[in-house]
Amino acid sequence: MNTRSPMLNWLLRGSSCGLSAALVLALAGCAQLMQLQPDQLASLAGDVKHAVAPVSVEEEEQIGQESAAVLLGASPPVNNPAMQAYVNRVGRWVALHSDRPDLPWQFAVLDDNDIDAYAAPGGYVFITKGLLLRLHSEAELAGVLGHEITHVVRKHHLNEIRRDSRLALVGTAAQLEMQQHGYNSQALAQIAAAAKLVYSRGLDKDDEFQADREGVVLAARSGYDPYALLEVLQMLQSIDPKSSKMALLLKTHPSPAARIAALSEAMQAGDMERYGNQVEGTERFASEMREFVAVR
Amino acid sequence: MTTQRWLLALAASVLPLAVAAAVSSKAQTVQITAMNSAPYSDAAQVARLPVNTALTLVERKGGWYHVRLVNGRQGWIPMTSIKLAEGSQAPVQGGWNAGSLSGLFQSGRASTTDATATTGVRGLNEGTIKNAKPDPQAVQDLAKYAATPAAARSFAAQLKLKSEQVAYLPKDAKGGKP
Repeated sequence: MNTRSPMLNWLLRGSSCGLSAALVLALAGCAQLMQLQPDQLASLAGDVKHAVAPVSVEEEEQIGQESAAVLLGASPPVNNPAMQAYVNRVGRWVALHSDRPDLPWQFAVLDDNDIDAYAAPGGYVFITKGLLLRLHSEAELAGVLGHEITHVVRKHHLNEIRRDSRLALVGTAAQLEMQQHGYNSQALAQIAAAAKLVYSRGLDKDDEFQADREGVVLAARSGYDPYALLEVLQMLQSIDPKSSKMALLLKTHPSPAARIAALSEAMQAGDMERYGNQVEGTERFASEMREFVAVR
Repeated sequence: MTTQRWLLALAASVLPLAVAAAVSSKAQTVQITAMNSAPYSDAAQVARLPVNTALTLVERKGGWYHVRLVNGRQGWIPMTSIKLAEGSQAPVQGGWNAGSLSGLFQSGRASTTDATATTGVRGLNEGTIKNAKPDPQAVQDLAKYAATPAAARSFAAQLKLKSEQVAYLPKDAKGGKP
């Protein structure tokens, strides 16, 4: 397709800040090495600037819909309206306490026995049946959803998927058309490909630690016991790491032990003990789960 | 028969607990741990537990577990000073207990090991993600389950959940910066 994207990819991966100014400087240095002409350099810099430009709400929505379509294509939601409604009510309540309460938040339980949860840009949050049924309380559910909500609020997947898909299009006719008319089918295919890559390789470890740290805060703001997320992490720690049910979660996240250590240190420093006696919601959670299992 | 009386007394005190907790909550310490008389850091210390001390979790209050040692002594320790034994669960009082549901996770998939080799299997893993055909209709269908803010608020009120002002936690705990 084009010869630039591998180099751009490399450049962008090497840069942790993602600032276009810094990239242009880096490009200037590389251009000397590669003996690029000034107009080629200008075009290249424009491409990079476009790839890291602020994202519009519409673009986030498009990337989110396509990313969610990939996840649901791999694992459909559980066909149980009561269970889906329950998780949506809890999730929406927690999301209302985030920095983006007005996103069109949508939650779903996936018909998947593995243990994991996922977020997609624009407000999609998924939890597998395998994880949900291993929880013990609504506070634990709120902690897990708070972790995923944080990925959406901080645009963790959005930035990764957008960068990868745009870079694949740099210099192509599809890119020009995208700039004028939004995503076309070729661009959507690139988003799907980038989403598959990001969900398979996972986010930066720091993004996961941040999602734990802010997830417990969202749970606490929502009136739940924030320590319930630590309980979930201890549950994950107690499962045989060689179990196939844990394969993707462990590949894409820091170890439960590392997450527990980082989170408990942060909670101590943040004086979270004040919220330790908040609601656990074991009874409501139990009755929802019993009903879920009964109708299966 | 002093020994027999002691055994009877022990059985009487342990039995109700054993019946209540169908799933064991066995754990061990992962660090040297001060066991306190109450779930507070300034409560009186009743014992000092070495690493790998075996114990049973009785209940959790915030960041503290009420624990019972093999010798019967009880106290409170910070929840992150332990690791659950494999197959054990956090203590649950009258709540949902996934451990009692063996076989629950069997449906929908032939087996966990040959999942990717079987056709029509569900579930997210590297193989199914790589081969996924995006399903935009499934995304559209999610809308029928979505909760409005009003619905979420009234559902929260049923559980007496109250909004709290809570600041984000520091990123570097030692530096104290958010």
